[in-house]
Amino acid sequence: MNRRGSSFLAAMLAAMLALTGCYNSRELNELAIVSGIGIDLVPGKEDYKVTFQIVNPKSTPTTVSPGSGLPAIVVISATDRTVFGALRKASKRATRQLFFAHTQLVAIGEPLARRGINHVFDIFERSHELRLNSAALVVRGGSAESLLQMLSPIESISSLGLVNKVENTAKVWGENRRTDVFGLISGIAGEGDITVNGVMLPGDIREGRKKSSLEQSDFKGGSIMSGLAVLKEGRLTGWMEGTDARGTQWLLDEIKETGMDIGVPGASGKLAVNIFHSSTGVRVELREGVPVFHVRIREEGNVSEAGAFVDFSIKEVMDQVQETLKTQTAQEVRQAFEKAQGMKCDIFNFGNELKRTHPQDWQKVMNHWDEAFAQGRLDLHVEAYIRSTGMRTKTYMGQEN
Amino acid sequence: MRKESIGSFQLFAMIVLFELGTALVVPIGLESGHAVWVSILVALPGGVLLVLIYDYLYRQFPDLPISGYMRRILGPAVGWPLGLLFVPVLLYNGSRNLREAGDLLISASYDKTPVIIINSIMVIAVMYILYMGIEVFARTAEIYFMITMVMGLVCNFVVIAAGLVKLHNLFPVHPGEWLEALRSAYPNIWIFPYGELVCFATILPHFKSARKVNKVTVAALVLSSFLLSFTHAIEMSVLGADIYSRTTFPMFTTITLVNVANFIQRLDAFVILTLIIGVFFKMSVYCYAAVAIAADLFRIRDLQKLVLPVGVVVLLSSFVSAENYPAHMADGVVFLERILPIPCAVVPILLFAVHRLRLRFKLYR
Repeated sequence: MNRRGSSFLAAMLAAMLALTGCYNSRELNELAIVSGIGIDLVPGKEDYKVTFQIVNPKSTPTTVSPGSGLPAIVVISATDRTVFGALRKASKRATRQLFFAHTQLVAIGEPLARRGINHVFDIFERSHELRLNSAALVVRGGSAESLLQMLSPIESISSLGLVNKVENTAKVWGENRRTDVFGLISGIAGEGDITVNGVMLPGDIREGRKKSSLEQSDFKGGSIMSGLAVLKEGRLTGWMEGTDARGTQWLLDEIKETGMDIGVPGASGKLAVNIFHSSTGVRVELREGVPVFHVRIREEGNVSEAGAFVDFSIKEVMDQVQETLKTQTAQEVRQAFEKAQGMKCDIFNFGNELKRTHPQDWQKVMNHWDEAFAQGRLDLHVEAYIRSTGMRTKTYMGQEN
Repeated sequence: MRKESIGSFQLFAMIVLFELGTALVVPIGLESGHAVWVSILVALPGGVLLVLIYDYLYRQFPDLPISGYMRRILGPAVGWPLGLLFVPVLLYNGSRNLREAGDLLISASYDKTPVIIINSIMVIAVMYILYMGIEVFARTAEIYFMITMVMGLVCNFVVIAAGLVKLHNLFPVHPGEWLEALRSAYPNIWIFPYGELVCFATILPHFKSARKVNKVTVAALVLSSFLLSFTHAIEMSVLGADIYSRTTFPMFTTITLVNVANFIQRLDAFVILTLIIGVFFKMSVYCYAAVAIAADLFRIRDLQKLVLPVGVVVLLSSFVSAENYPAHMADGVVFLERILPIPCAVVPILLFAVHRLRLRFKLYR
């Protein structure tokens, strides 16, 4: 072989080394995939206690092996003044390097939420591995650590289960919604205050960590989505619960589907109406220094259950049902609004809306927006429509006399 | 040696890729808040005017690069040193692009790779394409134009399909914001990325059909302006003005938020590819312009001889020009406001004016 040919060959071989692109490689068997992160405050100190829920690959059944029967998750934690410090300190307890690209959930313990969470999320923006669309939850009356330690009966990776739970209830019941880190950051950076979805651990926390507790039909641990945490300047100041939470969701135009029990004209039973479509339009203006919030809600529903005799074929009856639905919705919304006004927390994005549409008016109230919001007037219009009564018209019960 | 020539579509593709280059991925026109997409469109007429000036000068001297007609118009005593001043500006701007690409790649994806490896690989690719000549470069641009367009369509489609676009982040644009948009359009966006097309004054002598030059360049400029405005509007509508103004790499952050049906997600690779392709073309054009001007000034027949020194200078100055990324960005603001307008706008307009005057008063011998 001549010299030219051999030097060409050498160059090609050298290029092949570089072309494999292994410089930045991280092998799958050297990674610990983090499914959830929990952040707590160490009592009496300024430190964060950061908890990581790691997927245990051994226990995941595959087509070749059935899985080891161990819990699907392993939880480790570390404390430090910064989240990143804790993240790296956790290496003392982990056999593999933590890998964050699949983090589904970020849980915040209530004590930390009360102290304030404004500074916690910087790492989520700065890092390229952590994802901004991870769901965020506040653990009500508990620590994020205990939430992440809890096993879950159907979804073997409990972080994933929690996210599914909140998405599921947001879809059909509407008191909760999936709040994510991105929304939190935009909310903190924007005007007004924010709400974060809450989760409660009503069961036995100690039992919930044990694999054995999963081997019975009524699981002793478990978690339940519970209300929306109201954060004023990043600090937890109160909770929106039940119908208040739903009213909040209504004002935020986050209702996808929900059910309402409404009174039956002239009877003691209730009608269950499934709202399958709802949309909210908001317009904010300043009238003589007082903000006025024009809210228009349009909802459509089906009758899913009638607990008393109602003759839906009569137009007047239908009108009455729609009217009841309308007033009940308006009542929920008004209640939520008044509760927020009581807390002086604009959790409905009204400040952002005013700033966006009337920047000059915003200048006038921006320094005392909390007070201005608390004095603001709600101009609420609800349109409610019943579209169908399901597979039947009248109920099988006769009219009570 | 046969004169290398490039066709209309090739020139069109080169201009679009050059314009999109880094402007697509980094935040531009920060001062204009959520009206950045307006700024980009507002700067377009100015950009078209500049390009028409470059085209006019080219048609007057169809065989000369910018340094060539500079000596003709201003005389060798002024034109030669002025042409020489172009070389460091072009090299520095090329190295800035390289630096930005390297830093963004490291902070977005290749966290364990030394910056020298990334930058060297990119410079080697640029040197290779310049070594092969402008024709090969133009053909490459043709292919990558298609690839970039397809990727752009896919990315924009998934972002819209994922329901991330919130139009209320874009509207309304208030009177005060129109003014701000105008202020960031002139001179900032006018110069970067539109004015940077001055580099093409060294490529145009290879263009096959001089009569079509206006049509091709203006069409390419308008298309890239619309694409830039649209993309930045999408990014702004997804991220909101606050996050957009703080992020170093808005397109990357936008794409990481995509999640269509828990199935289509993590499309980061598309954005990384867009960045690499864009920077590759931008850097190649800058290096080519520097090579062509240097060759013209020092009467070097063979451009290939200059490729290696230019590549090495660009590579090294990408490291030494700034200590860290914030310092690099701060330098960029000064460079964009004080230095870049001179070769991009001041000199071409001056050349145009002097040339017209000399024609008018018949001062050419």
